[in-house]
Amino acid sequence: MSVLVAKGIRKTYGSLEVLKGVDLSVGAGETFAIIGPNGAGKTTLFKVLTGEVSAQGGSVSFDGKDVTRLPAFVRARMGFGRTFQVARVFGELSIFTNVVLAIEARKVNGGESCGRWWDWRPSADTSDEARSLLESVGLGRQGDEEAGLLSHGDKKRLEFAVTLAGKPRILMLDEPTAGMSAADRKSTTNLLRDLKAKGITIIMTEHDMDVIFDLADRLMVLNYGAVVSQGDPVTVREDEMVKQVYLGKGVGHA
Amino acid sequence: MNGSSFMRPAVILLFVAALAAAPFAVNQGLLFLIGIAMLQAMFALSWNLMFRYAGLASFGHAMFYGIGGYAVAAIIFHGFPLPFLLAILLSTAIGAVVAFVVALIVLQRAAGIQLAVLTLALSQLVLLFVSYTDFLGRDDGLSGLARPVLDFGFFTLDLRSPTAFYYFIMVAFALVTAGLLWFVSGRFGRVLLAVRIDSERAAFLGVDVRRKRIFVFTLAGAIASFAGALAAPWAQIISTDSMSWFNSAQPMLATLLGGAGSYWGPVIGAFGLILVNYFTRTFVGLSEFMVGGILLFVVLLAPSGIAGFFEMLRRMRNRTRTASAREHNQ
Ligand SMILES: Nc1ncnc2c1ncn2[C@@H]1O[C@H](COP(=O)(O)OP(=O)(O)OP(=O)(O)O)[C@@H](O)[C@H]1O
Ligand SMILES: [Mg+2]
Repeated sequence: MSVLVAKGIRKTYGSLEVLKGVDLSVGAGETFAIIGPNGAGKTTLFKVLTGEVSAQGGSVSFDGKDVTRLPAFVRARMGFGRTFQVARVFGELSIFTNVVLAIEARKVNGGESCGRWWDWRPSADTSDEARSLLESVGLGRQGDEEAGLLSHGDKKRLEFAVTLAGKPRILMLDEPTAGMSAADRKSTTNLLRDLKAKGITIIMTEHDMDVIFDLADRLMVLNYGAVVSQGDPVTVREDEMVKQVYLGKGVGHA
Repeated sequence: MNGSSFMRPAVILLFVAALAAAPFAVNQGLLFLIGIAMLQAMFALSWNLMFRYAGLASFGHAMFYGIGGYAVAAIIFHGFPLPFLLAILLSTAIGAVVAFVVALIVLQRAAGIQLAVLTLALSQLVLLFVSYTDFLGRDDGLSGLARPVLDFGFFTLDLRSPTAFYYFIMVAFALVTAGLLWFVSGRFGRVLLAVRIDSERAAFLGVDVRRKRIFVFTLAGAIASFAGALAAPWAQIISTDSMSWFNSAQPMLATLLGGAGSYWGPVIGAFGLILVNYFTRTFVGLSEFMVGGILLFVVLLAPSGIAGFFEMLRRMRNRTRTASAREHNQ
């Protein structure tokens, strides 16, 4: 059954038509990758799917419910979790607080208690969960540091922990390994594989083809806001149109 | 462990002790000003609550200070048979309701400069309305307000005594300051900081940003009204000055001077401004000159205010300390 379905998404910025009627359907537990050259409209498509911007045309539904007009925070409460192409963390706050925030937001939205109402500190449960999440992305030791001082790659990992803290049903990752070292890339890929094994639905864009072929069940190629090809990764790789889109670059290094 | 974790409670204790000792140490004029300083500090704290924790810069916050003041003044002046504490409560509630309605309208879309202009315009409208209302004394305001006697049955508190009223204000100030500190340190404060730092990112955590902002705006309006409601009987007069743009600027100046990045910044700034005014009172125009000069100094040399300046010193000291410790270890 499809978890996320988008039909005929059209988005224009002024006279620039960024998305020209994109359809997509992602099944439960599937890892769906969107690739395409710079400026193809991948990030814009993410924004429309998560409710960050509204589209001029088309519809988005989640779990069979039409969410086209719902604001981002409502979609987040329904189970959308997303990361940004350039990681966005709460820079002035500590790494630990960043994750605590996300856990507490999830608990409040789910009607769970956040501990004693008069206690200003995060509850023991929340703190433990935050620590283990940070541990899982390899930031376990640095909790007290200011998030804004982290390296680009570490910010990505923190943002990942923040997103996971929301226990999303669908993970939307905009270039999860961009700007990471080879080692970090490897560990992020492993982390994603674990999540995938747990049955979480993932939609991702990525420029690194190794990561894509490692993880993706299905692949969509976007070029100038239109779908060029769609299918399982091996078939798409052999598609003539796709080779043309990536002409001269070689699919492996797009 | 750094020095400030011991320093801060000590400084606060000293501050409280100094406030408590004031009635025995200073003359009536200065005592009155310290009372005003506490009220202005509450007012500034409420402004910074919006600014620091929701990213909202209101340029018309005195509207709420004035509403609280006029509400309580009208009750006293026209002799409504309402106990003083209830009058204060009612005035605060009126301020909260008005703030809530303003927030609903203004925060629909506006942020940044639009919010600043809209709040300023609204406060001027309210001021104009008041200056045409006979019931509120038109341009002259309401004066000769009698200070109340609180009757609790088993004992009475005579606020006609300046010292008693002073302590009444001090208790209110302590309660508001402690309550607000507790509030912003907790879960709600964390979410609000997130909203101010990156509201879009906060939305993706499932936070209803608009609702949080409306709540903060309402709370800030309520606290400002509360401060205003105490200021009117303390000064025994209320006029449209209380809602003027000049009074709207006071919490901003105090916050800028004390430092917006620290909880205590607005308190430090509000007391600082009152002190400058007091020591320059005999020279016409000198206080404006001094305030202007100090602000220029602060903005250029210590952009995060007095509190931020001390924080910077502390960090520098810690850094040299860790650096020398490291050298020592090598
Ligand atoms: N806010 C905006 N206003 C105007 N044009 C925009 C805006 N955002 C994106 N665009 C344009 O839309 C097009 C698609 O941008 P988008 O960021 O979606 O591409 P992308 O596929 O994510 O690219 P990349 O691989 O570089 O991340 C680009 O031409 C971009 O310049
Ligand atoms: Mg992009």
